[in-house]
Amino acid sequence: MTLISVEFALFWLVTALLYFVFPLKYRWTVLLGSSLLFYFWNGLGTGYFMLFTVAAVYVTGLLLDKYNNEHKDYLKSHPDMTRDEKKALKQKMQKKKRCILSAGLVVSFAFLVFLKYFNFLSGQAFSVLSLFGVKGTAPKIDLALPLGISFYTLQATSYIVDVYRGKLAAEKNFAKMTLFVSFFPQIIQGPIGRFGHMAPQLFEGHRFDFREAKFGTQLFLWGLIKKLTLAEYMGIIADEIFGNYTQYKGLIILFGAMVYGVQVYADFSGGMDMISGVAQVFGIKMAVNFERPYFARSVSEFWRRWHITLGAWMRDYVFYPLSLSKAFANMGKKTRKVFGTYIGKMLPTFLASFIAFFLVGVWHGSSYKYVVYGLWNSVIISGSILLEPVYKKIIEKLKINTECFSWQLFQILRTFLLVSVGRIFSRADSLMISFNMIKNMFSEFNPWVLTNGTLYTFGLQPRQMFLVFLVIIVLFVVSLMQEKGMKIRESLEKQNMLFQWLVIIGAIIFVAIYGAYGDQFNAADFVYQQF
Amino acid sequence: MKEKLLTILRELRADVDFENETALVTDGILDSFDIVSLVAELNAEFDITIGVDDLEPENFDTVDAMAQLIEELAD
Repeated sequence: MTLISVEFALFWLVTALLYFVFPLKYRWTVLLGSSLLFYFWNGLGTGYFMLFTVAAVYVTGLLLDKYNNEHKDYLKSHPDMTRDEKKALKQKMQKKKRCILSAGLVVSFAFLVFLKYFNFLSGQAFSVLSLFGVKGTAPKIDLALPLGISFYTLQATSYIVDVYRGKLAAEKNFAKMTLFVSFFPQIIQGPIGRFGHMAPQLFEGHRFDFREAKFGTQLFLWGLIKKLTLAEYMGIIADEIFGNYTQYKGLIILFGAMVYGVQVYADFSGGMDMISGVAQVFGIKMAVNFERPYFARSVSEFWRRWHITLGAWMRDYVFYPLSLSKAFANMGKKTRKVFGTYIGKMLPTFLASFIAFFLVGVWHGSSYKYVVYGLWNSVIISGSILLEPVYKKIIEKLKINTECFSWQLFQILRTFLLVSVGRIFSRADSLMISFNMIKNMFSEFNPWVLTNGTLYTFGLQPRQMFLVFLVIIVLFVVSLMQEKGMKIRESLEKQNMLFQWLVIIGAIIFVAIYGAYGDQFNAADFVYQQF
Repeated sequence: MKEKLLTILRELRADVDFENETALVTDGILDSFDIVSLVAELNAEFDITIGVDDLEPENFDTVDAMAQLIEELAD
């Protein structure tokens, strides 16, 4: 049962009917039942992995909570403690909690690491061993990756870290914890929710709200348009260029990378819109995962707008803890002596960012190309910070006005270009192929391919190219309006009823006629579903 | 203390109007690199330890919130 199927539409409808028929207090049980049904229906018998993760974080949370409460109670019963005594107590408690947290994290990540990376690591280990004359075949596991494991593992572990930090009280109800981890719209491809944001919404029963249901359905429809009338068509071009990369050179490679960038945005953000739309019907607001990333003026800003929940997870649970750790602080002191104040101060932060982006890369898959994809972004972000004083001097010397539209446009296009080149690593079939493609990109200067009809040779008919162009224009205008603070659905709501219905029916007809679905193009697969 | 804090902030980001901004982190005016640099400066200047669990937007969205955090940690 994929997100784009009649079965899912019926499943969504039946879940909604049951949800609003049940007593308010027990409505969350409908979501739990549907989520488990959805998971075991789609999970190809891997549901027990997910339930094991739920059990691991549930127990870890309870144990951590016990120490949090002990700590609080002790402070309450000893109001005269000095600052140093409080500090010593905190350290003692943290030591105990850290052991529990570490065990919880190891158990929770074990399946993800084992199932996702074992074959790769085993293959690499045997390649190295073969250099020393060791013969044999690398052992492999032949197990389907549990549905959404990369997403739900991060979501589940964020909960135990937040309990460890004292931000949350542990959830006592195992069934509710299961719902938090397995909530059916988000289990497929996120967004990676936080317990503090999701739990109250999931567990509290919501009354039927026509406006929320209307907005949710509209958002679902908008996601469907992005997925079926843009992502799928762009995917055909990207597949042709990346699949036959040896035949293409110069600008065509860059064009392919940019097209893939648009494809993956329409696919992933379209999927997010659909998921958020489904949840909104139940009165649940999912975390925002995209904020018009292609309007970003720097790569670091891009990552604050693209896959926001993954970036925020890496920031809160990897980048900040590393940057503020004693080890990194000590490293900073040493590097300042060697490299001077500015660079020395920044180096530990760059290293933390480097590690976070390395993890972003490997989170996408077990291949060197993903490692390089992560590091490409890290190097650009760190490099741009390091070179900022140089840029400032150049801008001053050339008397460039940085407050005008043309400069902002330049920054946006530069960011798009840098991000697109990075995409070659993530989309190409291997790291070597991505290097070859980048080499080929610079091997020929062929701007005429943009105007001599070459663009029509990548698998799309002129009519389909026109359609794609039209959808991109609509997407651009909508994004621009949102960027200016306009709320599209609220604005549509203020129009006459006839106009509202014309827009909705028009959108449905548009996606029904022009959507790429069915046997020819498999619309069921979302790019991020595979991660 | 607030003056010292403002001096640190202005040295960190001369382009930001710290006295009037009310959503420094929420609006992305200060990014994670800025926050890490700022925390290192504040820890050294005020002899405090700002932990990871203190890195909430509401503690860094305004100068007053930062001042309050420093006061609490210095107690």
